[in-house]
Amino acid sequence: MHQPTSPNALRTTEETILVVDDDIDIVELLKISLESDGFNVHTACDGASGLENAWANVPDLVLLDVMMPHKDGFQVLKELREDARTKAVPVILLTARGQTEDKIRGLDTGADDYITKPFDLREVTARVEAVLGRTRPIKYINPLMKAMGDGFSEEGVEKLAGHLEAAAAIQRKLLPEKAPSLPKFDIATLLQSSTSVSGDFYDFIPLSEKHIGIVLGDVKGSGIPAALVMVMIRTALRLLCDEAMNRKTDFPYPEPAAILKRINDLLVRDTDVELFATMIYGVLDTADATFTYTNGGHCYPLHYNHRTGEIDFLEACGMLVGAFEEAAFTTKTCTLAPGDILVAYTDGITEAEGPPDIFYGEERLAACLAKHAAGGKLAPTAFCELVQNDLARFSGSTQPNDDRALVVIKHELRNERLVRYSS
Amino acid sequence: MNFDTTTREQNVTVLHIEGKIIGNTADTFQRAMERQLKEGNRNLVVALMDVPLIDSSALGAIILTVQSFRESGGKLVLLNPQRAVRDILEVTHLATVLEIYDTEESALSAFS
Repeated sequence: MHQPTSPNALRTTEETILVVDDDIDIVELLKISLESDGFNVHTACDGASGLENAWANVPDLVLLDVMMPHKDGFQVLKELREDARTKAVPVILLTARGQTEDKIRGLDTGADDYITKPFDLREVTARVEAVLGRTRPIKYINPLMKAMGDGFSEEGVEKLAGHLEAAAAIQRKLLPEKAPSLPKFDIATLLQSSTSVSGDFYDFIPLSEKHIGIVLGDVKGSGIPAALVMVMIRTALRLLCDEAMNRKTDFPYPEPAAILKRINDLLVRDTDVELFATMIYGVLDTADATFTYTNGGHCYPLHYNHRTGEIDFLEACGMLVGAFEEAAFTTKTCTLAPGDILVAYTDGITEAEGPPDIFYGEERLAACLAKHAAGGKLAPTAFCELVQNDLARFSGSTQPNDDRALVVIKHELRNERLVRYSS
Repeated sequence: MNFDTTTREQNVTVLHIEGKIIGNTADTFQRAMERQLKEGNRNLVVALMDVPLIDSSALGAIILTVQSFRESGGKLVLLNPQRAVRDILEVTHLATVLEIYDTEESALSAFS
């Protein structure tokens, strides 16, 4: 197995918090509480030793009392910000109740948050987690910026932003702009990213005249690390398919489960254990009208049966991809009769939140499909729009809080194309 | 999210979690589990009966920590996950590699 420690984990499990307060009881209380939350805690009882401690052993966060004799919290904060080592370390100020001016001054001087005394220990934990959650990605990017040789200059930041935009552009290019046009089948897709780069992805891989590989996946997390893993999966998948089709050994195409197993083993070997993906990979046979697929721990796709008007979930056939060596996958086949619709989606759709803790869910998605598919006239592009509108209504927002992706495949009814183009 | 621990026979520790494990909370969750390993408690039962909801960050924390326990020759098992959590463990097939028990008695007997 690989070592579960590498720079691509944003979260480090050994985070250190420096507590600076002249009240020894408060220092002890915070130390006990934060240690039980799993942090390493360093302490100092005045501003000068607080600074010394911070520079000798740069912490991940500083809890800093404002009212201290000699050097007060504002002076300490100022000196922390002026020193390159501690410039970017997040600071939460501890202020006495009602001192609004302190808060404003503190935030002006570059504090990340403040906590009013007397405080609830749970509030301290919550604020510490929230600030660390915001600053972890910055900590991750800082070494990159240093490596660029521009330190923390504005020019450096601009350059980095440029690189991120370039990364997002590369990623967008990797996703097919248009679903392929196939005989008898109509395919549409939807991708909404919650950040500039996305962890959700889909791809279409031409295998032969009548076979097309279709993948829909969701890399855990979001942002650059998720996007990098997505690019890796997408490239590996295309290479594996190409290689197998050229060798012509796996007739008529490589088994989806075997492909997914190789991607699993690659990710287990080469990435952090907490970077994993869930994905569906299948081959659409346009002549036999079958979808032969495997599912690596992904939400079960919906299959609308035109003849009965009912919806089934495609069965599970394997574990999430990239976390466990022993993951095994099986291949299954589903027949898509004329009028049938297959809908693969990511959990950004089913876990869109409406009222607090109420999710959109598979049932609503299935109901939306059943309602509109009845009669056989629903086009895949129209369904993507319907889902988007339904989600906006349900969550009260058009801005998704997680990436959302949909791949909708319909076996056209005979003469449907004729009717559609003549009307 | 809140948690507390109790030590049972055979050096098994039960970590009882209460509340949703989503977003940044997953970090606290992960540290709570890893702290047990650091303190030398290599047999851990994570009690999930009072966890209504988890997300992929929490799954990541579970996967990572299960591996750490395995690598150090210990074991981490899950106790009584509720419907929403159980659904996620089943869809992702994690239920096939993780040990999941319905009662504390059966969870404890996994270490004997």
